[in-house]
Amino acid sequence: MREELLRSFVDMDEQEAVRIARELVETEGGAVAVLDTCKEAMEEVGRLFEAGEYFLSELIAAGDMFNQIMEFTLPKLQGEEVASLGTMVLGTVQGDVHNIGKDIFKVMAEASGINVIDIGIDVPHEKFVEAIKEHKPELVGMCCLITLGVDSMKRTIEVIKEAGLRDDIKIIIGGGRVSQAVMEHVGADAWADDAARGVRLSKELLGKE
Amino acid sequence: MVSPEAKKLAEERAARMQAALDLKEPDRVPFTGLGGDVIPAYAGITSYEYEFDFEKNRQAAVKWFTDFPSDSAPRVGLGGLDNQSMGVAFQDYPEIVSGVNSVNGPMNDVLKMKFVRFPGRELDENSARQFIGGKNMEPEEYDQLIADPVKFCFEVIMPRISGGLKDLGSPASLATMARFGLEKARQDAEMAKTMQALMELGYYFAPRGVCLAPLDLISDQLRDIPNLILDLRRYPDKVKAAAEALVEPMVKMGTMSIKAGAKECFIPLHLNEYLSPKQYNEFYWPTLKEVILKLVEAGMKVQVFFEGWHDAHLETILELPAGWGTAYFEKTDVRKAKKLLQGHTCIMGGIDVSDIISLTPAQLDENIKKLFDEMAPGGGFIFSPNIGTCPRETPIENVRAVYEAVEKYGKY
Repeated sequence: MREELLRSFVDMDEQEAVRIARELVETEGGAVAVLDTCKEAMEEVGRLFEAGEYFLSELIAAGDMFNQIMEFTLPKLQGEEVASLGTMVLGTVQGDVHNIGKDIFKVMAEASGINVIDIGIDVPHEKFVEAIKEHKPELVGMCCLITLGVDSMKRTIEVIKEAGLRDDIKIIIGGGRVSQAVMEHVGADAWADDAARGVRLSKELLGKE
Repeated sequence: MVSPEAKKLAEERAARMQAALDLKEPDRVPFTGLGGDVIPAYAGITSYEYEFDFEKNRQAAVKWFTDFPSDSAPRVGLGGLDNQSMGVAFQDYPEIVSGVNSVNGPMNDVLKMKFVRFPGRELDENSARQFIGGKNMEPEEYDQLIADPVKFCFEVIMPRISGGLKDLGSPASLATMARFGLEKARQDAEMAKTMQALMELGYYFAPRGVCLAPLDLISDQLRDIPNLILDLRRYPDKVKAAAEALVEPMVKMGTMSIKAGAKECFIPLHLNEYLSPKQYNEFYWPTLKEVILKLVEAGMKVQVFFEGWHDAHLETILELPAGWGTAYFEKTDVRKAKKLLQGHTCIMGGIDVSDIISLTPAQLDENIKKLFDEMAPGGGFIFSPNIGTCPRETPIENVRAVYEAVEKYGKY
């Protein structure tokens, strides 16, 4: 059943994947099996995206399937120890009110085992600092879609530095406007203009791959 | 008064752009210039002032276009955000369409659209105006959209997306339309002054049509992108039929301004980079292609902005007749596009706004030199930033470096 779930999920057969997951989750140890299989499927979808076989459309559809299945799987995992690769504070930087890219990344990052604290859109610089103090993440993810986001990321990182927190965290920037040049300009540690690359690099920054 | 010198300069600029459109080599590489929020920053005013105050907007534009001359018809006036579903609702009334199709700050104060955000209103006074999209239609409503897209946009969608028109036929909605008319008349008069000021500087104006790819109208304005992506798998036949039903309205929107002298129609794409080639060819391209072909048949050139990465779908452009218009690329490498499209399509783009923000003047100079070495020969190339908006913080020394490099290396 796990094999069938994996195959239908990766093949984007939504109805079939949800049906199998619903069945599997009711069996002994099924919830853990569903979670692990869906994580594996999301990883495979990310790999196919990076190989150019899948597109954003598949990332969105996979993320939606993952969320649908988790909705009835996670309540059955209460009390189970779910391994986490680390914690990431994630937000779209001040001035930018877009969320699609952030949301696509978020579900893929969660599926990879990263504990994501989503602090929203148009996030003031100071709110990143507060969230770092509160959640003590290993990673901070900053997104932007529009060009003003570049300078906003730069200022956010400066404010994090001024608060003396820069050395405690790794910073990855993501979204339509980022590049190697932008990463160097703003002083981040990694950049990704798609969610699959973003998750892969986040795991690398966490020392997990 | 427009001096003979300014008139001559405007003619030269227009001819330079036209030669590239005709796939020829002009006297120099035509340059659209840089723009966006850097213009109010350069003039020392807030983005809010630039988006809401015609007088300040005009002064800022005059300063910018004096100091940083470029070739294309300048996009001046208050900046707008896409509002085509409302344009479709009023498609039989061109004088209304030109005011609702793209909604600017003061017009939004009247119409109160749900999915736009402006500096000094919902956003900080130095933020940038933003279109955020949103879901305004349920999947069960596809049949209504398919049966009569114009009626559907008017009766069902407009009340959902416009706070001023949420109760059609009410005194509040009638007052909204009356205010809209007053604001439109005021803006038309202000725009005439702005255009006059720019013509005195040697610029020309060319009206152009705007429409969307049918599927983008559904994803941007009706269902939102993530929902539309799921609809492609859940209700494929409905989505296809809805896109087909929107071909005629989109052609009508695109050709509407021909009477006012428009020779070009602009189509900005959004969903293209989201789709696999299979989905693109099944759901997106057939109706977009039909719209482009009908615009060409009507005597227009078309400029398509291929947002994001268009690499996977590049070859489909060759299905259009040679000389159809301009392919404006965001992330797709224009060099790669040229290899495929030279002699068939005018190519526009070439410099990433993120680079203009992040690199040094020397690096920008070198990049532009290399770009022109490869892109200029044979003509059919318009140099342009990959997207329209340079942010307020764009270093002015970098802006200067771009214009100087165009001057140095752009001669044929």
